[in-house]
Amino acid sequence: MLNKIRNLNYLLIFLVILISFIGAAGLYSAAGGSYNPWASRHLTRLVFFIFLAIILALINIKFIYQFAYALFILSLLLLLSVELIGVFGKGAARWINVFGFSIQPSELIKITIILALARFYHDLKFDEIKRIKNLFFPILILFLPFALVVIQPDLGTALSIVMLGILILFASGIRIWKFVLGFFVLLLSIPLSLNYLQPYQKDRIFSFLNPEADALGRGYQLIQSKIALGSGGLTGKGFLEGSQSYLQYLPEKQTDFIFTLIGEEFGFIGTIFIILLFLLLISVCFYISIKSNHIFGRILSLGVGSNLFIYVIMNISMVSGLMPVVGIPLPLVSYGGSAMLAIFISLGLVLNAELNGNLKKLNNA
Amino acid sequence: MFYSEDKKQYSVLNRRTFLLYLLKVSFFGIVGWRLYDIQIKDSQKYKTLSKNNQIDIEIIYPIRGKIYDTNNKVLASNIKVFDVYIIPENTKNINKSLNELNQIIKINFSDRRKIIELSKKVKKFQKIKVFENINWSQLEKIESNKINIEGIFISQDYMRTYQFDNTVSHLIGYTNKPNREEVELPFISNMPNLEIGKDGIEKSFNLNLIGKSGQREIEVNSYGRVIREISRQDSQKGNDIQITIDLRIQQYALNLLKEHKAGSIVLMDINNGNILCMASTPSYNPNKIIKKPNKEYWNSILENELSPLTYRSIQGLYAPGSTFKMVVAIAGIIHGIIDTNTKHFCSGKIGLGDRLYHCWKNNGHGSMNVSDAIKESCDVFFYEISKKIGIDKISKVAEDFGLGKIYDIPLPNQKKGIIPSRDWKKKKYDESWYPGETLISAIGQGFVLTNPLQLAVMTSIIASNGKNVKPNIIKQNNDIEFEKLEKYQNAIQIIKSSMFKVVNESKGTAYNSRSTSAPFAGKTGTSQVRRITVAERESEDFRKREIEWKKRDHALFVGYMPVEIPRYAVSVVIEHGGSGASTAAPIAKEIFQFTKNLEI
Repeated sequence: MLNKIRNLNYLLIFLVILISFIGAAGLYSAAGGSYNPWASRHLTRLVFFIFLAIILALINIKFIYQFAYALFILSLLLLLSVELIGVFGKGAARWINVFGFSIQPSELIKITIILALARFYHDLKFDEIKRIKNLFFPILILFLPFALVVIQPDLGTALSIVMLGILILFASGIRIWKFVLGFFVLLLSIPLSLNYLQPYQKDRIFSFLNPEADALGRGYQLIQSKIALGSGGLTGKGFLEGSQSYLQYLPEKQTDFIFTLIGEEFGFIGTIFIILLFLLLISVCFYISIKSNHIFGRILSLGVGSNLFIYVIMNISMVSGLMPVVGIPLPLVSYGGSAMLAIFISLGLVLNAELNGNLKKLNNA
Repeated sequence: MFYSEDKKQYSVLNRRTFLLYLLKVSFFGIVGWRLYDIQIKDSQKYKTLSKNNQIDIEIIYPIRGKIYDTNNKVLASNIKVFDVYIIPENTKNINKSLNELNQIIKINFSDRRKIIELSKKVKKFQKIKVFENINWSQLEKIESNKINIEGIFISQDYMRTYQFDNTVSHLIGYTNKPNREEVELPFISNMPNLEIGKDGIEKSFNLNLIGKSGQREIEVNSYGRVIREISRQDSQKGNDIQITIDLRIQQYALNLLKEHKAGSIVLMDINNGNILCMASTPSYNPNKIIKKPNKEYWNSILENELSPLTYRSIQGLYAPGSTFKMVVAIAGIIHGIIDTNTKHFCSGKIGLGDRLYHCWKNNGHGSMNVSDAIKESCDVFFYEISKKIGIDKISKVAEDFGLGKIYDIPLPNQKKGIIPSRDWKKKKYDESWYPGETLISAIGQGFVLTNPLQLAVMTSIIASNGKNVKPNIIKQNNDIEFEKLEKYQNAIQIIKSSMFKVVNESKGTAYNSRSTSAPFAGKTGTSQVRRITVAERESEDFRKREIEWKKRDHALFVGYMPVEIPRYAVSVVIEHGGSGASTAAPIAKEIFQFTKNLEI
């Protein structure tokens, strides 16, 4: 046990804490130089979740392996129950109360998707991967949560589930032509899926294409976000000096748009620093993946790394106008318990995978 | 598991993981490049946007309160108009913008200078009025050229309007832009474009009428376009004010005054001091002052030698002439100099020192008691008694009857007039009082000067049996009880019966104006505006001759109605009207009859 604690990947833990602290500083600034209401709770969560992650790191990986499918099904049921008893959020029912905590099952499902896929490919012989019939199960694992999330409707999460699936399937050795085929199928389905989009989602996409046309409405966020980032320049306006965010120009500055606030106050140096920290964090995940002796640990680690990557890239692309505003937080930085919890759980699993990287066999059989 | 298979699988996994990693690094690269674009390359553009993207605080001007007459008729309110503003911040060169605007509507030089001066004083984002109440064709022209003129802004505003043009203009006053000192007044500090009351009720009640400014925080983007309203605090409308004037009587009075070049009619309700009518001619039209350009009209007012801006009812000072005789008689009675039986013989003149003092009736009235002397307005009787009373006692009584005072009514620039006394003369001229001056004062000439409102108040005090009536111009809901001047009771009864005779007995000076429908009592007055030369006096027909208007006597009349239980007191002053009996008394009769008809 002590040995395990000693062997924990402290670089990863350090990075997580550092990024979370940067998040807390941003939230402190977003509140106009106050710990309340966001920064203090963000830090409290950090403390709890760090312990949770370490505990997860210390449990036997065999349990995790064994319960991978069960956890997936459980989170799928949670997601399903959101449809039935969910509390109504902003135009979408996404939250559910679990032991008094309001959590988003759509955040948790991403982790259990990774677990389920990791187990599936761990169990699958390499030769079997080629077979078409063995594509059925992974696609089912991806499609069920995707469908549930889409009807919520949570476009951002749905998109990130698709991307996560593609990345994991690619890594696990699926033939390239299958991806090309899949890509065309997806392309063809775009006009069809547009019909299913909610009006507000269409607005978001169209305002992304031409933000200046509707400066008062949806394009507003994007213009303001770019102004905040751009006016930060190289070195930024200084901590607590971001006028855009203080003047309330930035909507949801504490959640999805926290990155722009940091960009305004700390400039290009600040934003690049954060990007590098994330890249480093993802690199650690990949390093752990490469190092791992079993497929489960490999897929798990690179899955978690990819999940992080999707969060970060989507969030930054969104606030910098590279993609439509779809509502994806910046992990560890944005205010919000569910996403943060999911990130810490997944990083706890990566820590666990590293500690148990030498195991050859996970099933008792 | 076969090792070889295992190995193959791991090598595929490694390769794929590496490719994936490369993909991620490149995505990070794209994002980093995007941030470089925004934060470094285009930084200047966004910095400017950020600076311009700011909160403006726009003052919401309050709507000025209305003014009503006693019967809730609107006398002053506000109408919607279009104004043109310039916002200094939104133009690179305010001069250039004004030049361009000048090509559509002429801006006169002094206005232009004022605008530029103001633009340096107020906050950069505050709008400054350039034109107001522009007409439709001007609006159209500016609207279509707005794009080319920087900083121009058209807004809908309210303009003060007066429903009855010149009918109540002196009393209500008018609004206009504040002058340089007024801009510093606390209640307009944040509203440089506020029109404030410049005269009359409008001026006195600025604080009540203006209301409270509101403000809205608006977010304006770099193009000056309002993106959204952040907060809004509405302005509070000013309080309405109801005055005691009865518009119907006021209009009627002005109509009566039309026949004369200048004059004043004041009608009061003696029970509460309410001024029901206080008309003065010539008057001006406040709407023409408010509506710009007003320069021509303004100049015509200033150049008019009759001075239409003067509110004669409170600012015009006239020798009260014989209307002052009541005061002298009362002084005589209360000081025991005369009683109802005291008689003096009028031979047409008396001598004092080396001077002769004439009665208006050259052949004299014969033997007169106080009642006859008032009825026929005998001057000699009052010369005689004033010698015994003395000026100081007369002036004391005059002050008790409201003369020589400024009243506590919210009208600016009341003229106090003069009720002379020994002290007064000593102070004013550093000279002692001459006995002859007492005689002249006793017939309301010489130093004595009163305004028409004071005469109406004096009459009210007499009519109400000595109640200390105070004039009132703002309508009050509660009843007012004035204290009674007990020591004058007896004297007033004598005077009132004499005033009845003036109008209702033959030989009374106003007998020709007696009314059967609205019987009234009163006293005529004819005050000289120049000294009558001996030669003129000796030529018998000097009063009948057509003399130059300016040299004619002022015609005065004071009176009350009804006779038994008086309710209304009037003062009529017609400048250079000839005589009180011929000119002023008939007007009083008309006013009384009209007022009485209204009661039914």
